[in-house]
Amino acid sequence: MGTTGLALPWKARISSTLRERGTRVEPSEHIARGPSPAAVDATSEDAALAAACRSGDLRAYERLYAMHGARMKNLARNVLGSPADAEDAVQETFLKVQRSIASFRGQSSFATWTYRILINTCYDARRSRMRKKEVANDDSEESPRMEPRAPGAHPTLRMALERALGKLTRHQRDVFLLYEVEGFRHAEIAGMLEMTETASKNTLFQAKKNLRQMLEPPRAGLGAAQTR
Amino acid sequence: MNVDCNDRDRIFEDGTPAEWAALEAHAASCPACAEEVLAWKSLSVAAKELRDYSDSPSFWPRIERALAEESARNSQRAERKSWLSFLPSFSPAWQTALAGVLVLVVTISGSWIYFHRPVDPGKNDKSLLQSSALKEVESAETAYEHAIDKLAADAKPQLENPATALLANYHEKLLVLDSAIADLRAQAGMNPSNAQLRYQLLAMYQEKQRTLEEVLETRQQ
Repeated sequence: MGTTGLALPWKARISSTLRERGTRVEPSEHIARGPSPAAVDATSEDAALAAACRSGDLRAYERLYAMHGARMKNLARNVLGSPADAEDAVQETFLKVQRSIASFRGQSSFATWTYRILINTCYDARRSRMRKKEVANDDSEESPRMEPRAPGAHPTLRMALERALGKLTRHQRDVFLLYEVEGFRHAEIAGMLEMTETASKNTLFQAKKNLRQMLEPPRAGLGAAQTR
Repeated sequence: MNVDCNDRDRIFEDGTPAEWAALEAHAASCPACAEEVLAWKSLSVAAKELRDYSDSPSFWPRIERALAEESARNSQRAERKSWLSFLPSFSPAWQTALAGVLVLVVTISGSWIYFHRPVDPGKNDKSLLQSSALKEVESAETAYEHAIDKLAADAKPQLENPATALLANYHEKLLVLDSAIADLRAQAGMNPSNAQLRYQLLAMYQEKQRTLEEVLETRQQ
């Protein structure tokens, strides 16, 4: 397996503290738990933000950026592999939101709609980049080549995960990034990727199974490490 | 809640918090499940390595500038279209329909004007004689009239003193024909190009010719 050298030594490098599912900090927990006063506030804030953007108020776009800009850029960076391309995609997304806000009917939340535009913009950019590569007869691999970014706690782990993500299908990668990295719930992901919630859960399961296989350390190596 | 190794994948895919708690309790006594659960949860922890929410101070100003430029372009486009301000109240489909109706009205009006335009009455009417044809007709008519006058001169003695009732009738008939011929000639004088009048005049002359011939035949008998 190509990722053998970057295999993930689970027990050695990652904290064994098991994450409690209930403690997961979600952007829109109200969707899963039913409407609460806070959820109602969030919904009305979302609608107010959409209305302000529709009226052409640039401060509303600034508020949208303040709420989602960092996460949008991170998602775009993980899909495209380059911070510069990610910034272009996020900027293009804001312009698309501005151009088509009149057609937003509120069938999903404004944030979900915005992320759907972002994801489509990222894949348009990827396709465009692929075509340019084809014209230039570049034989480089299809998955995005990740550019270096701020070092984290486990740079090797991150690189291994990035390479493994590049080998997943588009939907598996999207669902994994949206759920595990960006912290969206399946109901929100279903709205963004236009699939059912069940399909989102199943796709995440398949993605994690594949990642587990790709990142699993070789048994012999693990045995040797354990004997040490 | 009791779970075993067979429930593991189902719980990984869509387990409730209670099922997860039961699986973790089971994993405490099952090394295989413990490893799988640890690896599964470690993936979620590893995913956090892909989070980089560091702020870029120049990024929002760049987006804001692009949004403002786009907004200004839209305003300019709107101004350019302002002279057509009566149109935006119609949808593009209605605008197309109105344009179609306008084209139809112009086409029908043009056709009506073309087919109902005033024409020179003497130009295309086949019932009216052209000047050269008229001269031919008039000269032939004069010659024919002279020939009939000769016949009339021959029959004159019989008709002025009719020996029989039949001759008296012929005399009456010829007087009527002469009167009709005089009327038609007067009309033809006012409208010399009317071929229809010429045909009627010819018919009268022919009738007078036949009548005079019959008068002369009675004399021979």
